[in-house]
Amino acid sequence: MIPDATLCASPEIMPEAAECPDENKRQCCKREYSRTERISMSLCSAREVLRMQKMSLVGLLLFLSFVLMAVFSEELAPFDPWMRFEPYLLPGSEHLLGTNDMGNDILSELIYSTRISLFVGFAAALMATLIGTIVGLLAGYYKGMTDEILMGITDIFLMIPQIPLIIVIASFLRPSFWIVALLMGALWWTSTARVVRSRTLQVREMGFVQASRALGFSDLHIIFTDVLPNTCHVIAPKFLLSIASAMIAEASISFLGLGDPTMKSWGTMINFAFTRGGFINGYWWWYLTPGLCITLFVLCVVLMGFAWEEQERTNQRLE
Amino acid sequence: MSLTAKRASRYIIALVIIFTLNFVIPRAMPGDPLTNLLGEDVILTDSSVIELRSEMGLDRPLFEQYLDYWHGILHLDLGYSFHRHSPVAEIIFARMKWTLLLAVPSLLTGGILGTILGALAGWRSANSCQKASTAFFLAIYCTPPYFLCLLALYLFSFKLDIFPLKGFYDTGSAADIALHLFLPVLVMTLFSLSRNYMIMRGSVLQEKSSLYAAFARAKGLYDAEILFRHVFKNALLPIITLLAMDFGFILSGALFVEIVFSMNGMGNLIYDALLSRDYPVLQGSFLIITLMVVSANLLADILYSRLDPRVRWH
Repeated sequence: MIPDATLCASPEIMPEAAECPDENKRQCCKREYSRTERISMSLCSAREVLRMQKMSLVGLLLFLSFVLMAVFSEELAPFDPWMRFEPYLLPGSEHLLGTNDMGNDILSELIYSTRISLFVGFAAALMATLIGTIVGLLAGYYKGMTDEILMGITDIFLMIPQIPLIIVIASFLRPSFWIVALLMGALWWTSTARVVRSRTLQVREMGFVQASRALGFSDLHIIFTDVLPNTCHVIAPKFLLSIASAMIAEASISFLGLGDPTMKSWGTMINFAFTRGGFINGYWWWYLTPGLCITLFVLCVVLMGFAWEEQERTNQRLE
Repeated sequence: MSLTAKRASRYIIALVIIFTLNFVIPRAMPGDPLTNLLGEDVILTDSSVIELRSEMGLDRPLFEQYLDYWHGILHLDLGYSFHRHSPVAEIIFARMKWTLLLAVPSLLTGGILGTILGALAGWRSANSCQKASTAFFLAIYCTPPYFLCLLALYLFSFKLDIFPLKGFYDTGSAADIALHLFLPVLVMTLFSLSRNYMIMRGSVLQEKSSLYAAFARAKGLYDAEILFRHVFKNALLPIITLLAMDFGFILSGALFVEIVFSMNGMGNLIYDALLSRDYPVLQGSFLIITLMVVSANLLADILYSRLDPRVRWH
């Protein structure tokens, strides 16, 4: 799971303008402070945002190419990934990335594996985001006892060592990517819940929400039509970061052989390379490319998520 | 006081829930609970099945079984591994110290280096050297730890032949153990370092634009002074909580590192148990890891309230 700094409230220590003796002067120096700060901040953040946007553009392009690879794997793959050729071939003109112990073409395997890997990442992240959003909205909107209980549950979930728990549960069941995705989704929602809650706490005090309340709309209606749209921009980057952590976790769990062996994912490819002697014998082409694919995909998702979060933070600072 | 009580109750509830989950899992999963409790490759005669069933209390009501289970836990009895022919608690404690030997130094060096490097990177984020280091740590941050191990092992042990290939020791001398541990600890340190680096960098970037930093600069303090005497302290606070949460990740990461380096710690214990479906060992390991993660969180909570005056005064 990917941690984030936004989990913990950052301390904000404002210098007191109270040293100025008379009321008039105090106000003026307060305004002066905030104006200079605003200018320096906007200059600094504009540069930062521009840089981040360039990075996130690279991330987006990579991301899209991976998605295309997953959608059009039949068309893109040079061979059927189950077809058998001569085993242990070095990367060459015939097989661009070589073959494995069964003689399967590694490039085709890689392209077909994109599907499962991306599917597990997206499914887990979607579920985690859904649970996290609902928990965060309810806790933030109702406050009081509901908040105490829901955040208590969140704290408890944060403490569970997730990978060992998934290993234990998955070991009892038949290996399946569905189960892995479900388990991850059920465990990974905590940080989304916290972020959504703190945003909801802000939004619920805003004028339009109070107006809806005064007009007598029901709580659920207010939560879903007024509050939810105003939390979307904090949910989206969290969703991207959840995909990243789910992908890394999927790769780790498949590496232990808990993924479905009849389907191919990047993690199972590395697992086979490790358990069927590819690593010991130094057949680097067998496990290097799936590993690089995992890293690249996670990298582009994280880049986009960070850029988004950063922009959100600067927007908030400028508000 | 009531805050402390609330926190403590949270930890206790967490432990009770996790331990209960551990009780429920083998009984709720498909298949015979006896097999689920003993492990899959245990071959038994019919008479011993009945005998074991009553001995393990599986013929009694669930609630009694549950009480029995807690009785066992409180006496540090985590069950018996038929696969390894010894009590689970004994096996785990013998392996645990090796895993800790791998995880704790990595966590500490990673934490210290990560915060300092991250603070510098956040402070001078425009500098090209910092940009390069951020890109490097971001790449590590996005790599599954075991893949990093595979690469390191291939490069340094296979190709360059600098470090031993596997295990914790050959002869058992301290130097020998250190040589064996160097590569795994290095990878784990990088792993934990990159996480702390990213968080600290973000934290300092946020603090940098706050007014007290501008005031310190206006007073004419040196750059390094502002960073380490003023900004660092405030930016460090989120790290303490995250370090505790990270302990769980580092520990899980250590499991994978051990598998790649064939070290006889918890990781390989879990891996072997997984391959032979030795459920008691799997569940026992899960419990012990949970216990350690929860106590690390408790420790961080106490430390946090010591260090942050705003929490102390509440």
